[in-house]
Amino acid sequence: MSTPLCDLSAVEIAGRVRNGSLRAEQVLDSALERIRAVEGRPPSLEPYELQAEDRSTVHAFITLTEERARAQARAVDDAVAAGKDPGALAGVPLGVKDIFCVAGTPSTAGSRILANFVAPYTATPVARLEAAGAVTLGKVNLDEFTFGSSNESTAFRPPPGNPWDPGRVPGGSSGGSAAAVAAGEVALSLGTDTAGSIRQPAAFCGVVGMKPTYGRVSRYGLIAFASSLDCPGPVARTVSDAALMLGVIAGADIHDATAAHVPVPDYLGGLEQDVRGLRIGLSPDYFKLRYPDPQTGELREQPITPEIETAVRSAAEALARQGAEIVENVPMPNTHLGIPAYFVISRVEAASNLHRYDGVKYGFRYAGPVGDLKELYRKSRAAGFGRQPKLRILMGMYVSAEQYEKGYYQRALRVRTLIRRDFEQAFDRGGAHRLDALLTATTPTTAFELDAVYGDSVLMQYADLLTVPADHAGVPGISLPVGLDAQQLPIGIQLLGPDFSEARLLQIARAYERQTQTEAWRAARPKVLNL
Amino acid sequence: MKGTMSEIEAVIGLETHIQLNTRTKIFCACRADSWGADPNTNICPVCTGLPGVLPVPNQAVIDKAVRLAAAMHVDEIRPLSYFARKNYFYPDLPKGYQISQYDETLARGGHLDLPMPDGSVRHVRIVKLHQEEDAGKTVHQGGRRLIDFNRCGVPLVEMVTAPDLRSADEAAQYLIRLRQLLRWLEVSDGDMERGQLRCDANVSIRPVGFEGLNPKTEIKNVNSIENVRAAIEKEIERQKREVEAGRRIEAWTLEWDEDTGTLRKMRSKETEADYRYFREPDLLPVRLEAGWLAAQRAALPELPLERKARFIAQYGLPAYDAEILTEERTLSEYFEAAVAARGGEAKSVSNWMMNDVLRLMRERGVLAGDLKLRPQHLASILRMVDERKITGSTGKELLARVEAGGQDPETLVAAEGLGQVSDEGALRQVARRIVEDNPGQVEAYRKGKVTLIGWFVGQVMRQTGGKADPQRTRAVLEEILAAGTDA
Ligand SMILES: [Zn+2]
Repeated sequence: MSTPLCDLSAVEIAGRVRNGSLRAEQVLDSALERIRAVEGRPPSLEPYELQAEDRSTVHAFITLTEERARAQARAVDDAVAAGKDPGALAGVPLGVKDIFCVAGTPSTAGSRILANFVAPYTATPVARLEAAGAVTLGKVNLDEFTFGSSNESTAFRPPPGNPWDPGRVPGGSSGGSAAAVAAGEVALSLGTDTAGSIRQPAAFCGVVGMKPTYGRVSRYGLIAFASSLDCPGPVARTVSDAALMLGVIAGADIHDATAAHVPVPDYLGGLEQDVRGLRIGLSPDYFKLRYPDPQTGELREQPITPEIETAVRSAAEALARQGAEIVENVPMPNTHLGIPAYFVISRVEAASNLHRYDGVKYGFRYAGPVGDLKELYRKSRAAGFGRQPKLRILMGMYVSAEQYEKGYYQRALRVRTLIRRDFEQAFDRGGAHRLDALLTATTPTTAFELDAVYGDSVLMQYADLLTVPADHAGVPGISLPVGLDAQQLPIGIQLLGPDFSEARLLQIARAYERQTQTEAWRAARPKVLNL
Repeated sequence: MKGTMSEIEAVIGLETHIQLNTRTKIFCACRADSWGADPNTNICPVCTGLPGVLPVPNQAVIDKAVRLAAAMHVDEIRPLSYFARKNYFYPDLPKGYQISQYDETLARGGHLDLPMPDGSVRHVRIVKLHQEEDAGKTVHQGGRRLIDFNRCGVPLVEMVTAPDLRSADEAAQYLIRLRQLLRWLEVSDGDMERGQLRCDANVSIRPVGFEGLNPKTEIKNVNSIENVRAAIEKEIERQKREVEAGRRIEAWTLEWDEDTGTLRKMRSKETEADYRYFREPDLLPVRLEAGWLAAQRAALPELPLERKARFIAQYGLPAYDAEILTEERTLSEYFEAAVAARGGEAKSVSNWMMNDVLRLMRERGVLAGDLKLRPQHLASILRMVDERKITGSTGKELLARVEAGGQDPETLVAAEGLGQVSDEGALRQVARRIVEDNPGQVEAYRKGKVTLIGWFVGQVMRQTGGKADPQRTRAVLEEILAAGTDA
């Protein structure tokens, strides 16, 4: 049996559509067929009870835009027929995390409060993908306003299941993105990473996810969570696909003053270079979890899952075999402060960013009688927001109040500077370590079961312990699959590099991918595809 | 002031919001000026704060704010300043926060030395000068709130004085000088009626000699300089009455009712709101290069009060003339250009400008810079008058004709024969005919009513279309009338 078109890589699809040997509409039909096969009942705002059959399906799409996709696919095919350039992503099926605005399409942020919001404009990265010929199949699920690491906080339920075991979470907040890509519903998905929201679900779902340097990709049209941390980035099945996609979405934008004016290299061009002489570091601070006890505040320590540590070390060996130099014992002493500082900074920004959802201008408005304006605000926000936004607003308001701001917010900003310094020292060309990349596990564990962690906001947040430092520091990171654990769940590792070193990270990731291409685990398929 | 136990003085601070006259809003491409536009017709996703949008700073706003700061003699224009979010809920604030500056604002310090009509000078310190975006407008109508977002994102400079003003007149003078400066610098049109210059006044009173500050009231919603003066005056009187009656002044917020000319209590001052300021993560810090800043400062025009002083010193103008000629920048430039073209004669240029050019400007409703009658035209008309090539009245007529058509005045004079009638023979002929035609007046003159000479001169002027030299005409007429007595 030949590979279904929807399982082809984006590079191959675009290549064949561009040379006329494949039509975009054929690829679209294949993707739609896959969606029908694996999605299960569509997520909705209706009262929800998990049913047995929900544990065998993906539920990634909040909104399917089949007609829009059909029109885009035809436009690509027409362009090819007319001898015009259909773009670098011609005919590639794309799923957009429902945190990006797409003109004429509901942009819900996974929240009841925006369930009826239809954006009048399109986010810059989405516009660039579509201009490059990608075919947008729809908007995929996420944690409400990206607030979570499991997708269980979405207002649109059932929440996505992990294609490798739909009784487990796909991770989050770009869980719908990672699940849809892993299940072959789309070849590429546009996600966002604020504390690990691209890399953690990529690791859980066995796909490639890249958080670019802060400012590498425009945030225009990304419904903000924590503006100083949010990074749009690619979710893909292969390193080459991630490189292809990043090249399309990266670059300065007149609509985003924080998007960097740094030239975009040809990420695909240098991808096959070997890693001889590159210095890749391992840090003891990433092999253990240090965190303050949520009750006592006492600092606790526990090793990451042994299977995952082993996977990281064998990945290092694989790279060493190709000539990379492995640098052990790189100190990253402020890693354990990442989550507490993130709790403060992200909540302050989130509380402010969520101010605008007041039931007045758009989105959910409480329909019952209200005495005055304040009551309208209160009732609309009480009914419109789920538990996570409320928790984050409360905490954000608290730690930014005049009397606490210095003790919490200003202190967290100083911690952020310390974390940034860890990376600067590790990557310093004249320093002791002179790393090209730091190699770590992406997550302390593999995908956990639905409901196992949800409800414990603090514990849930520690799923991001290894990913959040890069967000604080603004540096790029890529998560890639390196095998399966005993339960046949994917394990991910991440490579972190200095500012704007995406090309180098992709090159190292590709070297690993190339070398392990024939390993047995690569033939394994997510459970939802074996039914 | 009432003669109570001790003399009472007012202590006034003004909080102004200045709308910058940039082409576009501060963070989006919408027009900055929505005057007269229908509600919600000059808006976009950015200024209405739709989900996912980002602000992009308008460099022209920074340029104008820097120019204003430099003109206010600030102690420092910070090479690195920050935007911040001021968080609060209000329906006309679509993001739920206002992008403003809080700590490390654009500028620090500043002052305006305010000359008062009595010759004294009041030193007014500036305690706050920062950039921010405007919010929308809420209109209450029939129990409903209507919201107009047009004004959202209009660039503002907030500028606050220390409590350094001591009377309603001083407050009014401050606003007059500030408005003059804003227009002079071309940073704002400064029209209070259009909300381009808004002013809240903090007012308290105290015995002269007492250095502390008593509880103050805040007057809001006043939309003209005259009303600011009236409102402050009323409030000072009210506070005096309260104190005389043994009552305490409470920290109210008062609203000016334009229709009735009275102040109304809006609310008791609540506890300070906590706006939970933090730096705006969607904008980079405002970085101003030292070289660029120095160039901005160097490009700052001479300020109105400095120019006035120079006009007095350099051209020997009376203070009254200098004040009027420096009221507006293009007028002062016009004056100097005209004096330069005339090669001096500053007082004569000033006279013509204050009497005739200003009237022309008023009639046409334009600034000096927009007149078709250019300074060199004025200078050449004045030269022709001084050289007696044309009469004064021809000169005045020429002003209007050049303004209407824009032609060169010398060419006009030559082409239309407007030159003065100096041909003695022709003049004599006209004079003689008038004497012959008016025996009654001649007889009266000869009987001693010599003031009739003016009437005879007027007749000659009329006959010659104003081209006769009045002095020459008078001499000729006197000669003819005298000769007649002998005959
Ligand atoms: Zn706008």
